[in-house]
Amino acid sequence: MPKQINVALIGNPNTGKTSVFNHLTGLNQQVGNYPGITVEKKEGICKLPRGLKAHILDLPGTYSLNASSLDENIVIELLLNKNDKDYPDVAVVVSDVENLKRNLLLFTQIKDLGIPTILVINMADRMERKGISLDVELMEKRLQTKIALVSARKKTGIEELKELIINHRQISTEPCVNASSIAPDYFDRLRKAFPNQSLYKLWLVITQDVNFGNLNRNSLENTPDFQTKKKSDLKRLQQKETIVRYQFINGVLKETFKKDVAAAKDLRSRLDRILTHQVWGYVIFFGILLLIFQAIYDWSSYPMDLIDSTFAFLGEWTKDALPSGVFTNLISEGIIPGLGGIVIFIPQIAFLFLFISLLEESGYMSRVVFLMDRVMRRFGLSGKSVVPLVSGTACAIPAVMATRNIEDWKERLITILVVPFTTCSARLPVYLIIIALVIPNERVLGIFNLQGLTLMLLYLLGFGMSVFSAWVLNKILKIKSKTYFVIEMPDYKLPLFKNVGINVVEKTKSFVFGAGKIILAISIILWVLASYGPTDEFDRAEEIVSEQYGETLSSEEFENHVASVKLENSYIGMMGKGIEPIVRPLGYDWKIGIAIVSSFAAREVFVGTLATIYSVGSDEEKTIKDRMAAETNPILGGPLFNFASGISLLLFYAFAMQCMSTLAIVKRETNSWKWPALQLVAMSGIAYVAALAAFQLLK
Amino acid sequence: MIQEILVLVTFLIAVGFLLKKFFWKSPQKATDTGSACGKSDCGCH
Repeated sequence: MPKQINVALIGNPNTGKTSVFNHLTGLNQQVGNYPGITVEKKEGICKLPRGLKAHILDLPGTYSLNASSLDENIVIELLLNKNDKDYPDVAVVVSDVENLKRNLLLFTQIKDLGIPTILVINMADRMERKGISLDVELMEKRLQTKIALVSARKKTGIEELKELIINHRQISTEPCVNASSIAPDYFDRLRKAFPNQSLYKLWLVITQDVNFGNLNRNSLENTPDFQTKKKSDLKRLQQKETIVRYQFINGVLKETFKKDVAAAKDLRSRLDRILTHQVWGYVIFFGILLLIFQAIYDWSSYPMDLIDSTFAFLGEWTKDALPSGVFTNLISEGIIPGLGGIVIFIPQIAFLFLFISLLEESGYMSRVVFLMDRVMRRFGLSGKSVVPLVSGTACAIPAVMATRNIEDWKERLITILVVPFTTCSARLPVYLIIIALVIPNERVLGIFNLQGLTLMLLYLLGFGMSVFSAWVLNKILKIKSKTYFVIEMPDYKLPLFKNVGINVVEKTKSFVFGAGKIILAISIILWVLASYGPTDEFDRAEEIVSEQYGETLSSEEFENHVASVKLENSYIGMMGKGIEPIVRPLGYDWKIGIAIVSSFAAREVFVGTLATIYSVGSDEEKTIKDRMAAETNPILGGPLFNFASGISLLLFYAFAMQCMSTLAIVKRETNSWKWPALQLVAMSGIAYVAALAAFQLLK
Repeated sequence: MIQEILVLVTFLIAVGFLLKKFFWKSPQKATDTGSACGKSDCGCH
């Protein structure tokens, strides 16, 4: 045995690897850089019993041997290069007792390279508090290794680790996972082409682009006997390797690792017991939701009123300050009301994202995902679908993209198809204005704001519809599948207010600027279409009103009637009249019909459109809400926005697929027009039927 | 007359913006099918 043993200390970040290194080396440490790069190289000498010494190299933290950064690459380059002076005689993989499953992925990969590998299970002092029990002997047998239970904090287990390092030659170098099982045909060809090489090392050379003695990826690809695969195929095989490894790890942990949650005594475990409880978990979650929606309404009403009246004043002021003419009218009646229709919702959107960020930052959101997994499974989805569904409350586009971490195609497809039902921030302006118009601002039981409760019900309706549609799709789609759900629960912590602030500002900014440009453009087009008309009636509006009413009208009434005749005979009026028969049974007039059509591009355009249409030809300083409240139903009489038509509109927007960008992203993610077309037809159909039923029952 | 021209120009800019936003595909995006894993935005990393 040589006098000095080369030891590589490897592990996931935050496993206490450096603490173990400090205990092993004491003050005998050197810190430098790896040649040519700025990654820190820490090495030291550990004095072992019987006069032996170990050279300990503390390698950069890495989650696996699938490198994605420069410092992770260093680990692989060292482990593959036997000629490196630091090539380890023994590898020590440091793991955290609370995250063994994730940590063992790296362990199995290193062991499969044929290097004697010791497993250090750190933070062993926490086991009792966390209710964890380990069958170390059986685990050693299953992993074919030696295990040291260490507490770097309490300095226990270090001497046992030193003994294991001395006796490293007794550790089996048999692999944990048979590499051939990942792709038998491919590995057979690999074995035939390179009979003297380790299969797993070859696999890493192919997938990681690192050197392995005289072999590198280029030389492998140029070998005549061996045809490698496309990058995308190799990526898929890498994913398969990870799944195979986790299947092995799950099997080992099932036999050797027990966590009795009821026996755990620490604060986190106690909180987890309550927050993920089968009954109390849901009660607390819905309580928090209730609080959020109440606060959104109560806190944001003052800034909203201020913004609304400011824009109304601004429209009037522009008209007075600029020279009179059509362009001034375009600014005061088209652009300013259109923009006001989006800016007014900034306070509520900011409050919503403030609460969502606080829940995410505190670590509670992961508990919600875990909690909802139980519900989701009954409807053919997994807990992983919760993340896209929760993201969908901001926007369906990132939510659809977030489904990429769902391995199973059927679950992923179903999640993509149902995500647009969740209430995205673009629906919020529509909901808020309609609720303000048709739901009384009253308290229920003296505590709950009725408008806040309605908004919460709409969020739950969207979520419920997603889950119900998933259940239906799960029955209809004949795709075989099997999947599993893994989530790491972060520790509870006080939210970092800087992070929360940045998140709120970024989300609100992207909503305002992303939607704002579209709304501005549509407002301009709508104003032009509403201010010009092709027919004789449009030009003769004054004459028509004079003939109809004579001298009986005040000048204000006369102007209002002229504006009304002009609007009806404008381009947009004629288009609106064309689609009126379709929207009339839902309780809408042609103006709402136009707003629905224009908001097909993006839902939030609805309010801006109505604000623009109702402002054309009007000289009064009125808020958007006032103008909408003053509209009367031309056939039934009474307010146009009443309880029946309001609920009908809310349901229409809850279910309708009014977002071109979402359709485009679904096409990209599914690589087919079939699924977005299905989404568009089905969601529009459901929206129409629900809105029709609501109006006909409530009118 | 100037105001009429300004309205026409503003209208054309608005129409152009919406057409570009929803119907014009950039050459880079047009070739990206998005199906391959391994790109920085593929969601696997």
